Amino acid sequence: MLMAIIKKELLQLRRDPRLIGLIVVMPLLLLILFGIALKLEPQNVKMAYYDGDRSFFTNLIKTGLWSDGYFDLYEVASKEEIIEEIRSGHAKAGLYINNEFSALLIDNQQPHITFFVDGTMPSLTTAMKYNSNSATDESVTNDMYFTDAEAENVVIAQDPFIMDTEILFNPDEKETWFFLPGVIGVLIMQIALILTGISVVREREKKTLEQLLVTPMSKTTFVIGKLLPYIIIAVADFYFILAAGWLLFDLPQPVSHLLLFFLALIFVAVMISLGLLISLIARTQQQAMFIAIFIIVPSILLSGFIFPLEAIPDIVRPISYVIPFTYFVEIIRALLIKQTHFQDLITSFVSLTAFALLFVSVSIVKFRQTL
Amino acid sequence: MKMIKAVNITKRFDRLTAVNNVSLQVDKGQIFGLLGPNAAGKTTVIRMLCGIIECDEGEISLNDKNIKKAKTDFGYVAQHFGQYEDLSVRENLQFYAQMYNVTDEQRLQSLLDRYELTKFRDNLAGTLSGGYKRRLALACALAHEPEILFLDEPTAGIDPLTRKLLWDDFYRLSTEGKTLFVTTHYMEEAQRCHQLAFLSAGEKVAEGTPETIKHALNNAIVYSTNIPYLPKLRDALIQMKGMMLVNQFGNELRLVVTSQITQTELESIIHSVTGKPVPLQVSEPNLEDVFIALTQKEIDSPC
Repeated sequence: MLMAIIKKELLQLRRDPRLIGLIVVMPLLLLILFGIALKLEPQNVKMAYYDGDRSFFTNLIKTGLWSDGYFDLYEVASKEEIIEEIRSGHAKAGLYINNEFSALLIDNQQPHITFFVDGTMPSLTTAMKYNSNSATDESVTNDMYFTDAEAENVVIAQDPFIMDTEILFNPDEKETWFFLPGVIGVLIMQIALILTGISVVREREKKTLEQLLVTPMSKTTFVIGKLLPYIIIAVADFYFILAAGWLLFDLPQPVSHLLLFFLALIFVAVMISLGLLISLIARTQQQAMFIAIFIIVPSILLSGFIFPLEAIPDIVRPISYVIPFTYFVEIIRALLIKQTHFQDLITSFVSLTAFALLFVSVSIVKFRQTL
Repeated sequence: MKMIKAVNITKRFDRLTAVNNVSLQVDKGQIFGLLGPNAAGKTTVIRMLCGIIECDEGEISLNDKNIKKAKTDFGYVAQHFGQYEDLSVRENLQFYAQMYNVTDEQRLQSLLDRYELTKFRDNLAGTLSGGYKRRLALACALAHEPEILFLDEPTAGIDPLTRKLLWDDFYRLSTEGKTLFVTTHYMEEAQRCHQLAFLSAGEKVAEGTPETIKHALNNAIVYSTNIPYLPKLRDALIQMKGMMLVNQFGNELRLVVTSQITQTELESIIHSVTGKPVPLQVSEPNLEDVFIALTQKEIDSPC
């Protein structure tokens, strides 16, 4: 009897070639993708610098930071601009050198430079702090010792300059602040994809679709009618989860409640319409679930939610940018933690809206009024 | 007036031709029965007529309109229960009515009454028995007062009493001027239709009223006699060249043969197998004789 059940299950599996494709091809694709993509070594992290000294010595420091490929340096006009660049997300790190650096260095007065780090992504923060050591590396500092001919020889040479690290936006490096906004997105993504992912395919399996197709409804009516109720439910759910985050984990308030609402609405619309699209493609509820997982897992790993985007190699990076969740993670961190201004988030908002429109229109095209 | 008109419709699924060059016409107020064994293509035909399967070739018009424009002119009851099991009877009816912009509560109530669903109005559709599910499906299909009603095996798996009630209702609808298109494989139901067409392996093999279609076998002759079932006799008869059908009903044996077999030949074979003389009577062909004889190539063993 046991063998009979086992055999029956295997036979049934074999009758669903699409499912077999999903359980064979999906893991292989994801394995290769993650194998290439997942590294904890950020490369070419954008770093805004202000160098008031512009000397041979400060060039040594910048070269030290740049040469290993960790940081991609560009110049801004002031210390305030460095912080603004990081707030807007253009840069993840910053370097400030004031105009007295060489003078103090030559005087052996141990000048200070400031290394700014975006604190909203602790994994990146840690990696950046570690990589910033290349600024104080021996190859940089070797040429910075000035001995006074009359002074006594010191046994242990002190560091010629001191680099202070200043963590911006999440000074305590609270990991809940880092993860929680993204977690809300992950939960909403799951809820939305599963809610609508089965909505059409269930009607197909339960044979109610056939009865619905003879009615005079248009494709657009069907698609919008399927989307709207779930969008409302998922937005409500978003605020429910967020409220729990505020209550339980002391999550900061957003810079703008209106923007947060738009984010919730647009992101939910993207996910609900993507779910509907899955439901239109899948032939069984099982297939729909698999496709949903196939979307959720890379979204979590490649969106910058856990691993910084800077650590994802250039060849895989385009995939990160076709994942809607990437934009959500960026915006929600900006709104809750970095208090970024709207104009710096326009591109991300526009991208998310484009995804929503794309998925809705493809759903309308894809929905066929025949069986 | 022709309410349903299909001209040379054909549907292929991959390599299989499910429906091949079928033409049908149904007059207003008629009950039209499409008969055929399982897999003959009945459901494909009805789905094409309702526009939920596109035909590969041919033309269909309903009430003189293209199907897409005729969506409010017809109602459809699918073979499988297609209403929402997790909605109540009333919610289902309201939903289907609203899909056609019908909000007349009085009309919906009269439908509930007509199909004796009032006492179940707040029950979930999934909890109804098979017979009541069928009534609900019918009520939903009629919510918008369509001119044409398509019913795919409306009485399959339904007890004889409910079946009779449903048929009484079909007649009532027909006298109200509605056109009904019914698929079935029950002979007693075929008998009740005004017009019939037989479908076999996707092709129309006969058409007419229940009376005229009985003569669709052309020169075939039907013999009957009273004799209990004998496997040996059946095997011997079935091997005869010109034997179209060997059909046993309890103690009645019915034989449909072409004119190349004579009554004497048959009687002598029966005599030689049973060891006693059995006289045969010439009978009128009935619908089942015609149906099985015309479609049996597709069913492996007759009777």
